[in-house]
Amino acid sequence: MSMRLKPQPGEVIDRGRRFRFTWNGEAYPAYEGDTIVSALAACGERVFSRSFKYHRPRGLLTASFLDPGCMVQVGDEPNVRGAHRRVEPGMVVSPQNVWPSLRFDIKSANGAFGRFLSAGFYYKTFIKPRRLWPAYRSVLRRFSAGGVVSPDSSHGYFDKRYAHPDVVVAGGGPAGMAAAIAAAEAGAQVLLVEEEYELGGHLRWGNEAELAALRELRGEVGSTAGIEVMTNSVVNGRYDGNWVAVLQRNLPHVVERLVKARAKTLVVAPGLIERPYVFEGNDAPGVVLSGAVRRLVNLYAVKPGERAVVLSANESGDAAAEDLERAGVEVARVVDARRGGDVVRANGGGKGVRSVECADGTKIDCDLLVTAVGWTAPTSLLNMAGDRPVYDGRAARFFPSRLTEDVLVTGGLAGDGTLEELLAHARATGRDAAGRATRTGRALRAGIPQHADGQPELAQSPPVEYPKLPVYDHPALFRGKTHGIVDYSEDVTSKDLVAAEKEGYDAIELAKRYTTVTMGSAQGKLETVNAVAIMAEATGSTIEETGTTVWRPPYAPITLGALAGRIFEPVRYSPMQPWHERHGAKPLVAGAWIRPDHYGDPASEVRNVRENVGLIDVTPLGKFDLRGPDVPRLLNHLYVNEWSNLDVGAVRYGVMCLEDGVIFDDGVTGRLGSDRYILTATSSGAASVWEWIDNWLQTAKPGWRIHITPVTTAYASINVAGPKSRDLLLRLAEGVDLSPDAFPYMRVRTGRIASVDGCFMWRIGFTGELSYEIHVPAAYGLHVWEALMERGADLGVKPFGVEAQRILRLEKGHFIVGQDTDGLTGPYGVGLGRMVKLDKDDFAGKPELAWQGERGDYLRLVGLQPHDGSLVPPEASQIIEDKNGVVGRITSSRMSPTLGRSICLGFVAPHLATPGTTLLVQLPDGERIPIRVTQHHAHFDPEGTRQRG
Amino acid sequence: MGIFNNRNGSENGYRKPARYSAFDLFRRGLSRADWPRAWRKHDLRPSYDVVVVGGGVHGLATAYYLAANHGITDVAVLEKGYIGSGGSGRNTAIIRSNYLTPEGVRFYDRSVKLYETLSADLNFNAMFAQRGHLTLAHNDGSLRTMRWRAEVNKLEGVNSEVIGPDEIKRLVPYIDTSEDVRYPILGALYHPPGGIIRHDAVVWGYARGADAYGAHIHQNTEVTGIDVVDGRVGGVKTNRGDIATRVVVNCTAGWATLISGMAGVRMPISTFPLQAAVTEPVRPFLDPVIVSGTLHVYVSQTDRGELVFGASVDPFTSYSMRGTLEFTEGLAGHVLELMPSLSRMRVLRQWAGLCDMTPDFSPIMGTTPVAGFLIDVGWGTYGFKAGPVSGETMAELIATGKTPELIAPFGLDRFERGDLMGEKGAAAVGH
Repeated sequence: MSMRLKPQPGEVIDRGRRFRFTWNGEAYPAYEGDTIVSALAACGERVFSRSFKYHRPRGLLTASFLDPGCMVQVGDEPNVRGAHRRVEPGMVVSPQNVWPSLRFDIKSANGAFGRFLSAGFYYKTFIKPRRLWPAYRSVLRRFSAGGVVSPDSSHGYFDKRYAHPDVVVAGGGPAGMAAAIAAAEAGAQVLLVEEEYELGGHLRWGNEAELAALRELRGEVGSTAGIEVMTNSVVNGRYDGNWVAVLQRNLPHVVERLVKARAKTLVVAPGLIERPYVFEGNDAPGVVLSGAVRRLVNLYAVKPGERAVVLSANESGDAAAEDLERAGVEVARVVDARRGGDVVRANGGGKGVRSVECADGTKIDCDLLVTAVGWTAPTSLLNMAGDRPVYDGRAARFFPSRLTEDVLVTGGLAGDGTLEELLAHARATGRDAAGRATRTGRALRAGIPQHADGQPELAQSPPVEYPKLPVYDHPALFRGKTHGIVDYSEDVTSKDLVAAEKEGYDAIELAKRYTTVTMGSAQGKLETVNAVAIMAEATGSTIEETGTTVWRPPYAPITLGALAGRIFEPVRYSPMQPWHERHGAKPLVAGAWIRPDHYGDPASEVRNVRENVGLIDVTPLGKFDLRGPDVPRLLNHLYVNEWSNLDVGAVRYGVMCLEDGVIFDDGVTGRLGSDRYILTATSSGAASVWEWIDNWLQTAKPGWRIHITPVTTAYASINVAGPKSRDLLLRLAEGVDLSPDAFPYMRVRTGRIASVDGCFMWRIGFTGELSYEIHVPAAYGLHVWEALMERGADLGVKPFGVEAQRILRLEKGHFIVGQDTDGLTGPYGVGLGRMVKLDKDDFAGKPELAWQGERGDYLRLVGLQPHDGSLVPPEASQIIEDKNGVVGRITSSRMSPTLGRSICLGFVAPHLATPGTTLLVQLPDGERIPIRVTQHHAHFDPEGTRQRG
Repeated sequence: MGIFNNRNGSENGYRKPARYSAFDLFRRGLSRADWPRAWRKHDLRPSYDVVVVGGGVHGLATAYYLAANHGITDVAVLEKGYIGSGGSGRNTAIIRSNYLTPEGVRFYDRSVKLYETLSADLNFNAMFAQRGHLTLAHNDGSLRTMRWRAEVNKLEGVNSEVIGPDEIKRLVPYIDTSEDVRYPILGALYHPPGGIIRHDAVVWGYARGADAYGAHIHQNTEVTGIDVVDGRVGGVKTNRGDIATRVVVNCTAGWATLISGMAGVRMPISTFPLQAAVTEPVRPFLDPVIVSGTLHVYVSQTDRGELVFGASVDPFTSYSMRGTLEFTEGLAGHVLELMPSLSRMRVLRQWAGLCDMTPDFSPIMGTTPVAGFLIDVGWGTYGFKAGPVSGETMAELIATGKTPELIAPFGLDRFERGDLMGEKGAAAVGH
């Protein structure tokens, strides 16, 4: 049955482009410009979904994005707004929340049990027996609403954009357009954002004069320089600093795009949202709002029914009645709410309305009931800007109360009036917005804080004169004489709210949480005011006293894809990465970095370092260039040990603690010149060390004369380790005397390596071998690495990766912060108590370290070797004592290629830390094996003769 | 204990609340009889034996267990807004006990046990869904911590084990366990008893239970001062009048330092916002709670079908609960890293709550230097899951005057002794 009307003056469909799409498994025709639901309505379809709880059939209500009964599945996209989304050729659309089918839904039997399924019924049942609860729950879960996502859904393409407009106008109705034009004429760059597919708002479904005004406004928007228009887009959030999130939908080749705009001024002009009326049967298909009728008839040329009753309290209802007459719908009666007329009940089954009962007792047969009972002000963006809107009883809607300097309102949010009056107000708002944006811009350029108490000393433009905008009286109509649905997407009735109030959920926020009213897809834009009014009625208070629930971002639901955009997860590689890849390095994801874990056989890499010479790429090592006379004070403050006496050319190891005295990072710092230091941090700690230092310098120690530059990626870093490392470096280093006397252990030198200037190197010994850590300007990293490999071929030089380094350092007994320390470990626990210089001036963690030193009950890090050297207890295995339970754990464990046995580091309780003590370690299978505390942390060369050589 | 006169007990006794059951639903459905109030309204009395500040799960549970376990019923719970309006109504309702330290494991395991029987104990279905809890490891360091937690958990009798990518994929088919992602999943700590609960129902259930025993729940009642005379509590001032009392329990979050400050007690707490978001519902596809510390995200699916997300606390101290765009952007990116097929799911709402962080990521519970002023604060991001056991132990402390062993490690004086707890590593993004 075709309900398509003859061409309408304002219609948005292109009758020259007709195509088919699939709904519920069958093919349907549509015109380009149709929404999914308008195309279906044109074919006589009236039911588009089943409701959440009672599985009642649901049809059109608002014919807009908010329409709760028109959520559909499009392909693999769930919860598509069918009354907003334009239909496309071949689109596959299916209904949601139906079982087994839209027309016959078994769960609609729930409707018959409605009286037993009152709000929150699930809190009152399924309590006993407890063992059956999982079964009950799985049944309840089947009643969850919404569409379907599949594990194979395509990701789609999403991206983001930054915008820097002077003025963002939220809402492209007549007021928004006029405000945008006025702002742009005043010289502002304007971003005009409209939720629907075209500009125009309610003018689009207006009369001849309104259509003419629309054409004029659209023409002006098009011809005024400085306005960027985004349609089918929504201002989704206003965050601190007028950081405005704009969501653009369904762009060519982009599913959704998030536009992030730093607006100097935000003009909020979303118009008003028509509010449903609460009465018995108000959710039957065929009960629609006047706005839906106006859209259907005028935009989509769809006849909404055959015989209608119109409940009208305003011009929109009257106009809808006229539209219906013009569309050939028999208007059986216009019930005028302004003269006390009311509707009591809509009767009808699954197929829709059959008759309507009026307050005067008459019953009228009809298939369409149109209500026009008032408006809700969408103050969501204003709430996000800190406003608490106030209720005006005469107009029966909320108005803004106190707006910040950078947020303005116009249109229906500001008041009523004729089109001329509204446009005049909007133009004034646009001029004001541009003026404020100019002032903000000047203040920003002058570096004046925006919200300082003293006003900036800038020339003030004369204040904009606003024309007075009237506010019309409107009957306060929320619920009629019967009870009905308040929240369509949650199936919450006014009875539920009344019952909730009686049970003590008498604050609107409690009632919301108990009944789930306003928690659905429209987030209260259709439901909040009715819910508040019904709660006010139930508690015997006013709407003002009852207050509203809080609106929060986003204004309209936004896909995870749009929020994520392209998903920018940067990866860092060292300059030597091409060489690593060519030589079969197995990558290791180490935070931001990806680095070689090994090159095939970590054990042989270890042996080569012990016997010949190895190279490891340690570029991720955190490096900071420190200059200035106060650097020693900073070092003394950051590290627990003494730094005042570090000579030029010296390198010292230090441990950093947080203020709780817990080890935070460690590394070496070297003094390259009288006024130049390089501080190193662990690879994983580099970012937090930088934050930590900067935090101290910016907050607690702003007077210190220090300049710090993070140079982690400015230098490529290579550790040359092994007995033949000096021989290798002798072939490549220039300007540095490498002899052991001239360049001993824990010293730093600068010079040329492989003809590269600006290098520095220090002798340190993480691996326990003679080793030089060389740092070369990053651009030459690959060159130096290759030169070392080439010139060292006859010395047996080989690369080694992170795994070999971990084994080497474990053989040597060096701990790794975060692996061999935890959230309680202080320097005393890892055996570095002697480093802590409590006689220094204040330093980070000093008081706590003083306590630590006195206590002595901390866990001790010890070297451990299983009695059976072939067993490697997994890291994190617990050390158990029968009477005390857990008394320690293994923090590091490996098979040592050098010693041919398993070696460990671990924490043990103080009474077990004596060398030679035998402990029990519990393996994952529950078996406990004996393990011995060793004399030193170092399992190999504890005297350190090799690295000092 | 002598100071408690049990006025309510002698006057009213236990008022059995209207029973909740399928039969009663049916009966009242037939007769269309109204359900009575779940908790009553009262005038403020001039004195109470115990005043609990904060009408969230901690405060209400304290009031409930004071009455149910110790017969102390002359109790007022003061809530500045509506009950559950703070952290109890803003958290992501995740319950688990797979902590790192034996003390932490024992404490939270008791809470899980109480949660398991809570619906029956309170005759109020809080819909505890023990669908399991997965903490993902994306690097060998966190895998090591997972093993550590699993070992400690097992030794304490708590069900936790480290599982590999194949098993993760079996539990959550939507998760991307392939190796060609930015942060490949190496394994996970699987904790079958973990899950989610209807957080508001926990609040309401305790309120109803406490009310039945005679405790007074005062909403819209803001504490404006605490009287301390000679180092001991004498009463509290509120916007509705003064109350004389010898015992005040601070069960607030977000404002814990301010309330303690009224009694002159300083605490090492910094308050940070913690943000969360929820999507539109889709058909259930995700059973366990998923947590990724590396990606700073946790996600669960409610029985209604919505995905609920959270992250780590904001990186700066603030009392603002407005929420930021950066949060949802980062969150979405991380969720899609884990489950790429969800890109067309839509975020419906974002919000924020306040977290009182302590230096060692553990709460502060017990007595203070001010006699009669007790604290149950510093709950960071883990307060909701500890609600029942906190109420139970605080009630025991009030009734017996002895600090229960379970909360002995969490005393305020530990910061003076340098005796910190070691949950830092496990709790940082430990939902």
